[in-house]
Amino acid sequence: MAEFGTRARIATLAVLALAAASCASDKAVGGAPATGGDGVKTGPGVTATTITVGVVTDLTGPYASLGKSLTQAQQLYFEQANAAGGACGRKYEVVVRDHGYDTQKAVAAYTEIGPKSAAIPQFIGSPMVTALKQRIDTDKLLTIPMAWATSLLGSRAIQVTGTTYDIDMINGVDFLTKEKGIKAGDKIGHLYFEGDYGESALNGSKYAADKLGLEVVEQKIKATDQDMSAQVAAFKAAKVKAVLVSVGPRQAASLVGVALAGGMDVPFVGSNSAYAPQLLDTPAAPALLKDFYVMTAGAPVSAPMPAMQKLVADYQAKYPGQVLDNAVPTGWSAAMIVDEAVKKACAAKDLSHEGILTAHRSQAAFEGGFGTPMDFTFFDKPASRASYILKPDKAAVGGSVVFKEAAVSDLAKDYPVPVG
Amino acid sequence: MTTFLELLVNGISVGAVYALIALGFVVIFKATEVVNFTHASLLLAGGFLVAKLHPALGFWLALAAGVAGAALVGALIEFLIIRRARVGSHGVLAIVTIGVDILLTTELTREIGTDVLALGDPWRDQVLHLGPIMIAETRVVALGVAAALITAFLLAFKFTGWGVAMRATAEDAETAALMGVRLGRVSLSAWAVAGALAAIAALFLCVFPTPGLDRSTTAAAMKAFPAAILGGLDSTTGALAGGLIVGVTEALMSGYQSQLAFLGRGIGDAAPFLVMIAILLFRPAGIFGTKELARV
Amino acid sequence: MSRRSRWITLGAVWGAVVVAAVVAPFYLEGFWLQTGLFAMSAAVGAIGINLLTGATGQLSLGHAFFLAVGAYAYVYLSTDVGLPTPLAAVVAVLLAGAAGGAFSPIAGRLKGAYLGIATLALIFGGQHVLFNAEPLTGGYNGRAVPPMELFGFVFADSPGLVLLNVPFGALERLWFLGLVVLAGAAAFARGVLRGRPGLAMNTIRDHEIAAGVMGVPVARYRAGVFVLSSMYGGLAGVLVALVFQRAVPDYFGFLLSLDYLAMIVIGGLGSVAGAVIGAVFVSLLPQLLTRYSDALPLVAEPGSGGVSPAEAARILYGAAVVTLVLFLPGGLLGLATRLRRVIPRIKELRWLNSAPAPASRR
Repeated sequence: MAEFGTRARIATLAVLALAAASCASDKAVGGAPATGGDGVKTGPGVTATTITVGVVTDLTGPYASLGKSLTQAQQLYFEQANAAGGACGRKYEVVVRDHGYDTQKAVAAYTEIGPKSAAIPQFIGSPMVTALKQRIDTDKLLTIPMAWATSLLGSRAIQVTGTTYDIDMINGVDFLTKEKGIKAGDKIGHLYFEGDYGESALNGSKYAADKLGLEVVEQKIKATDQDMSAQVAAFKAAKVKAVLVSVGPRQAASLVGVALAGGMDVPFVGSNSAYAPQLLDTPAAPALLKDFYVMTAGAPVSAPMPAMQKLVADYQAKYPGQVLDNAVPTGWSAAMIVDEAVKKACAAKDLSHEGILTAHRSQAAFEGGFGTPMDFTFFDKPASRASYILKPDKAAVGGSVVFKEAAVSDLAKDYPVPVG
Repeated sequence: MTTFLELLVNGISVGAVYALIALGFVVIFKATEVVNFTHASLLLAGGFLVAKLHPALGFWLALAAGVAGAALVGALIEFLIIRRARVGSHGVLAIVTIGVDILLTTELTREIGTDVLALGDPWRDQVLHLGPIMIAETRVVALGVAAALITAFLLAFKFTGWGVAMRATAEDAETAALMGVRLGRVSLSAWAVAGALAAIAALFLCVFPTPGLDRSTTAAAMKAFPAAILGGLDSTTGALAGGLIVGVTEALMSGYQSQLAFLGRGIGDAAPFLVMIAILLFRPAGIFGTKELARV
Repeated sequence: MSRRSRWITLGAVWGAVVVAAVVAPFYLEGFWLQTGLFAMSAAVGAIGINLLTGATGQLSLGHAFFLAVGAYAYVYLSTDVGLPTPLAAVVAVLLAGAAGGAFSPIAGRLKGAYLGIATLALIFGGQHVLFNAEPLTGGYNGRAVPPMELFGFVFADSPGLVLLNVPFGALERLWFLGLVVLAGAAAFARGVLRGRPGLAMNTIRDHEIAAGVMGVPVARYRAGVFVLSSMYGGLAGVLVALVFQRAVPDYFGFLLSLDYLAMIVIGGLGSVAGAVIGAVFVSLLPQLLTRYSDALPLVAEPGSGGVSPAEAARILYGAAVVTLVLFLPGGLLGLATRLRRVIPRIKELRWLNSAPAPASRR
């Protein structure tokens, strides 16, 4: 009897509470899309005084070093933009969330800051962005992933900057045949990570090898593998003439070191994520300096461009003693892409998600001062097909210098990019 | 054939390093019946000390400091936490060591940050050529050191007072205590030894062919779990055998992955665990482990 | 306290909990709802592992594998086989149980540390399959999870639904599904623990040989609890997949298993309430710290150097495991029980002090 009484009371309470809920909740629907006093239509993340941009990054996981450089560069960018008056009469506010390369945390972070952001200038990790692709598209939230896998193409709201991994590898194979004496019938090795990054890159190398009559010897590893002795043994047994490297910096260093020590003196061509300047302080340095090249869409920090030199000086002033790598200009230009889109959207008096996205997609030749113009009007193809070839260099700022200027190989020009 | 031999030799030398970590597990398990999950952070602590101290002290002194430091960390964990935890089951103590590991690893990886730390070892990237086979000098040293240490432990277990106390404790802690074995001392020394072994293992895991110590070094500690179990958690010989089996399996499976493509790419990581399951099905206490007999 | 007044307090507490749970989706923003849903699914999984580790004394580090079986089986059965989603969820849970059963030659024979490490094989072997069996699992990128559809009601953002002026999206709808699932899972586990099987399980944990002598089929019980616990894992997997809207192999790793163990130690071993409390603590802590990192001392905002919220959460969580075992062996639940015992006694004492002392007490 007593129990029944309690239950009845609970039910009554619940109904009462529900009734109360309907009138007092912040979530209650109401109000048309807001328009500020200045006649600009606003949307999520935009108030009369601020524009919030969300950064979803990795500061505690395997890509912490990338995340740190990108985030600091973007904080610097928006700080300077604010000092110069902000955009649209509003100041930028950067909200940073760290997911430690954990998909669940990334999804949680997006759920938190997505509805409060006008754009996302940095989202690390292709598995994370892939997991959220549908939602980002529905939210029409301009997002710049810091991953260059082809699976991220094909979404209007997601802007992959520069080249994708496969394009870099095609340009890399082209470079090997033109300058390193690789010819039809030769075997080339490809060491790659499981997952989007490695598999996108492998698509490119296979395409190029097929066109040029080469044979690819594949070795797939996991991000936790550290010692590449077994892989070198396999490459040696297959008598490869060159090796493509689409793994993390540590694995690349191990591979190159072991190969060279064992007398396997061949050229190595890495994807942009395969190299970090920190490696030049380790015993692998001599091997990396010898015959290792990095393919990337962005100019290195050592490039002699005025915009780059200013960025380097500003960055060093703001973050003295911190690693300065090629992720700094990458993060900077991604922030600039967002800034440009916001300014264009402001001119059209529409700072809603849709407005910012439309403004962004109207730019056919974006050029952030670091070379490599990008075309944002389509989203089923990479924004650029030109890759720089970099070479590690101990003396240079950022640990690498331009070996060959950005160029599109004939192979890459006609390459049909797989989408999605 | 050359490839096979090369992979085999590499597998054996990596296996020897795994055996060192597994030996640490075994020593702790023998003395306290606790499965120790803090090994990952002990590894990191030892390696971190060597990396930070070698520019100032030189490699050998730094190594000594690293080994001593990791031993101290191990001993402190035992003294401050394990000894004081009054819980019924050893399973719960194992979970406590997970907590300790999370604490230490988080702090150490924060200290390491995004750097890759070199350990300043004297072998650098030298390789030995044995006929057609090539092997890194560090690996030869690792093999030698591991073999020497494991032999030393086998002998110590048999012939020293400490070894007898340890074995007596493993057999029956209560009776051992009644016979005058100081359980606290046995357990403390076991943790210190495990810490020291982990530091030595860390050294060999972070030198050539790997580029240096960084936050991902802890992943290697995972390989020592199957090594310790498939050999038998209470057997020193088992730790050696287990380490070698894991090392060789991993090397061969990764080296021949193109031929083993039907098993899926990247089988090298999962293979040691599958071997472990296969062995446990036939010998639930591992190859050399003692089967627990219950008399009522 | 009289029996009647105890009932009233208990009723009031439960009433408040139910009301809060029902009202929450009308007020909380998506982020909190999602965190709450993760906590609910974690609670279901933690109840399962508490049956195994807490009540029966069997250590399992492979729980994440059964979550993966549940999540992927649900996706496969509903998308590729075309089963109606509720049926797919039920079959997915059964499949997770079957996977646990297939492991029983090991689970029944091994115990303690050996079982714990043997179950690591499930994680590493399982992830290998998840990464490689692409037609089934979608490989590295995983697969999209179709929304649950119950009697024509879809647990997704569209078709739009507005309830009492509040827009009801996927998270709001799933919230209620999660509540029902969690309540059912908790009630069932409570039944098991309070009945004969619970007694047998505890006896196996406390004294295996005595259990055997008293006629408890030890190996069969161990295997049975393992199966039951894997079904709970599978259910948690289905739930987490529905919240996530995507199943990715990376998620179902070693760290997830460790989280589950930490939950039951933090909450309290061997009980349903302990598992729930631990799950809420472990799921909420990092989110709270991240959300309020700017307001907390010692915790730096992400990207500004110093101890980041993610690191602070890990440190607190490690410290919680250690200190609870050292000082509060019963976990947070034990703390609550102790307080409940202590507070009335304090009141009693006060009353005693104010009133003239009774002639004799004890």
